Amino acid sequence: MKYALFLGCKIPYYVPHYETATRRVLGELGVELVDLEFPCCGYPMRHLYFRSYMLSAARGLALAEAQDLNITTPCKCCFGALKRAQKFLADNPELLQDVNAELAAEGLKYSGKVQVRHILQVMHGDVGLAELKSRVVRPYERLKAAILYGCHAVRPSEVTHFDDPSNLHLIDDLVEVTGATPVTWAGRVSCCGAPVRERNEELALATIRRRLSEAREAKADILVINCAYSQMQAEWAYSLAGPPPQRELVEGPVLYPQLLGLSMGLTAKDVALDRNTPNGEYLISFLRRD
Amino acid sequence: MLFDVALYTSLAVLVAGLAYKLGRWLTTSIGPESRNYTPAQRLSASLKGLARALGSRSLGPMMAALVSDGLFQRRSLGHSRWAWAAHMLIFWGMMGLIFLHALGPVLIPSFTATLNPWLFLRNLFGVMLLAGAVMALWRRLRLPGLRRTTHWADRAALALLALLVLSGFALEGAKIISVHSFDQMIEEYGSLAEDNDRAALGQVWREHYGVAFPQGQVPAGLELMEQGLELHQDSCVDCHDMPQWAFASWPLSRAMAPMAGWLESVRAALWLYYLHFLAAFAALAILPFSKFLHIFTGPLLLMIRVAVPREDMDPAARALVRALELDVCTHCGACSVHCSVAEAVNHVPNLAVLPSEKLMALGRLARGKTDYGEMLDVMRQGAYMCTSCLRCTLLCPVGINLQDLWFAMKDDLEEAGYGPTSRAVAGQAGESAGPSRKVAPFKVASGDFQRDLGLSVQSGSFRNCYRCATCSNSCPVVFSYENPKEELDLLPHQIMHSLGLGLSDEALGARMTWYCLTCYRCQEACPQGVKVADVLYELRNLAAARQGQGESC
Repeated sequence: MKYALFLGCKIPYYVPHYETATRRVLGELGVELVDLEFPCCGYPMRHLYFRSYMLSAARGLALAEAQDLNITTPCKCCFGALKRAQKFLADNPELLQDVNAELAAEGLKYSGKVQVRHILQVMHGDVGLAELKSRVVRPYERLKAAILYGCHAVRPSEVTHFDDPSNLHLIDDLVEVTGATPVTWAGRVSCCGAPVRERNEELALATIRRRLSEAREAKADILVINCAYSQMQAEWAYSLAGPPPQRELVEGPVLYPQLLGLSMGLTAKDVALDRNTPNGEYLISFLRRD
Repeated sequence: MLFDVALYTSLAVLVAGLAYKLGRWLTTSIGPESRNYTPAQRLSASLKGLARALGSRSLGPMMAALVSDGLFQRRSLGHSRWAWAAHMLIFWGMMGLIFLHALGPVLIPSFTATLNPWLFLRNLFGVMLLAGAVMALWRRLRLPGLRRTTHWADRAALALLALLVLSGFALEGAKIISVHSFDQMIEEYGSLAEDNDRAALGQVWREHYGVAFPQGQVPAGLELMEQGLELHQDSCVDCHDMPQWAFASWPLSRAMAPMAGWLESVRAALWLYYLHFLAAFAALAILPFSKFLHIFTGPLLLMIRVAVPREDMDPAARALVRALELDVCTHCGACSVHCSVAEAVNHVPNLAVLPSEKLMALGRLARGKTDYGEMLDVMRQGAYMCTSCLRCTLLCPVGINLQDLWFAMKDDLEEAGYGPTSRAVAGQAGESAGPSRKVAPFKVASGDFQRDLGLSVQSGSFRNCYRCATCSNSCPVVFSYENPKEELDLLPHQIMHSLGLGLSDEALGARMTWYCLTCYRCQEACPQGVKVADVLYELRNLAAARQGQGESC
């Protein structure tokens, strides 16, 4: 199990705790991560500059191909953008040719053989639920988790192939392995509001706030997130919300590798739970006491 | 005389230039909050911060940074090992030459430039500096990523360094072969009594020291040679090691020897001397106004950044540091080579997308030097193409906190009415749609428009729409508004349908097009296979292309 880690642009500055937890947990699970100097996945450019998006995405894919590696990414928007780009390039030979002509300037070529997988797919598929279960030494008790599946991972399903579109279960499986219980809630496959933040801050904030309050209404203790943008959105909403008694929001967002890592016996510091906004160390209180 | 005038003039320009720069650091504002602080506040906050840092545990890390990031330029290694090697050669070569030319004669009583180790070292440092400059120039001319950000000033700076070294070697070579210099030495230091002493000594210096006497001027002869060697031992050897130790100038002198007579007649050694010191003093004089300034500002910033994290810095001191950073940049191009969105410039030909160029634009803007409006538009595009991935900040060899500058710059742009590019494009699209909305035009889709929309090939799918409104019913944006038809102009199914009618302005200008969350619910749900979300993406692209945002440069 060896992958090129496509961290994406947002994690290093905005969500470094996601990187800490991802590297630590995948390392524990025996997934070898190789660091390449990837460019942007192209997702932010796609709104206005389609060809820049194509070139940037294809360049990242080609860099991995040159090392004969597949890509894994913790960011759902990087995942979606790379998968969407692969589809565009597969469907349009002329576009592929143009992009490859540009890549040739630095000796790169995109052939289409590289696979792009989200880190949760790697955990679920490559590592496997049985192995994960055997690694969970301190399962959670009475922890109810609202899962945010992430738009750009699940749709368009004909492009992303993240999970079975008619019966999403991948993240539910992964959450159950830790002993936590997924709750049924309204926002499970809904949007976090990130893509529109630059153009309509009000709508972006209202969207994530709705998710956070829906999760609370469903009596969830945490919101499980697996995307750099969704985590940024959630942390932004909490930084604007008042202290806990006033805000009608779920207690906090947790990144899946943090949730899993803690139940595998890693410390809160190992998975950087103290870096979450709000501080994620409350998760410890749900661990089974021996 | 000329030497002294040139030296003191260049020193005066240097000091005045440094004072001028200090004035700029106290007055230039980057980020709206920086404008709140007077020069006096900035200076006192910075000095207080410095005093606190020096008196605290930061002193150790500051010194460590000075050594590892300053003297050994460890941070450059993250950019490229070759760039590091080139700059190490330039840096240590230059430091060595400055020591040998300016400090050695003052600090070391026995210093003699024509004796080893100095004779050899001058050549060694010269060759190091030259090799580094050639490597750097080669990189700038050959590597595509560097070539696109290389300006005349970058090439000129390297050329000036090369000129310094080459004129030095040529000067040394010309002096080695010069009969005139030989005679001058005899006059000043020799105690020659016999008539044929000059010829005797000349023979030694022709044979061993490479002086190029004209044919027949110094006769050969074993006896004369012995006499010459004696004189040489008495008068010369204490101050002269073998010129072969000048391992760069010596071969050059051999190459010049056949032209010795002509070179002597045009007084080449003298002119090369002028050229050499004038080049050196020119470099000194332009130092405050060129990238050479980083010799002073670089180490300073490298220490500041480890002493106080940017977010803990007193805002008045931060204002000064931001202005200082504009003068720390060496325009080395590391940031632009590694920039996450560098490839965007292939299709969005705006160099301000690249960090090094964006910083230069920011510098010009902060000085109020450009046509404000046009420049702001270009800078906005650069600023909002940035994904804030932090890579440039982590890489910058001189430790500029570019991320902080980009955030401050966005605040400045926003204040000047230049918010996010996509918001601006949306606004303009909305304005062009406005009038037509009132007169309700009706036209059949033109072939041109469908071709325009071919960006991602499957846009034609909108023609399958039969207005069932499943897309609009599944849209979280529509769900977020009480009166979506009024607040979004058109709903997704209406946009798809209006495209079929050729109402492109309406579709481009509708707020729905710009508030799309790209969640793909519409596309996933459409019973007719219309690529609703992808089409909305294409509409935003089309608006950008129409407004020339994709072409501005």
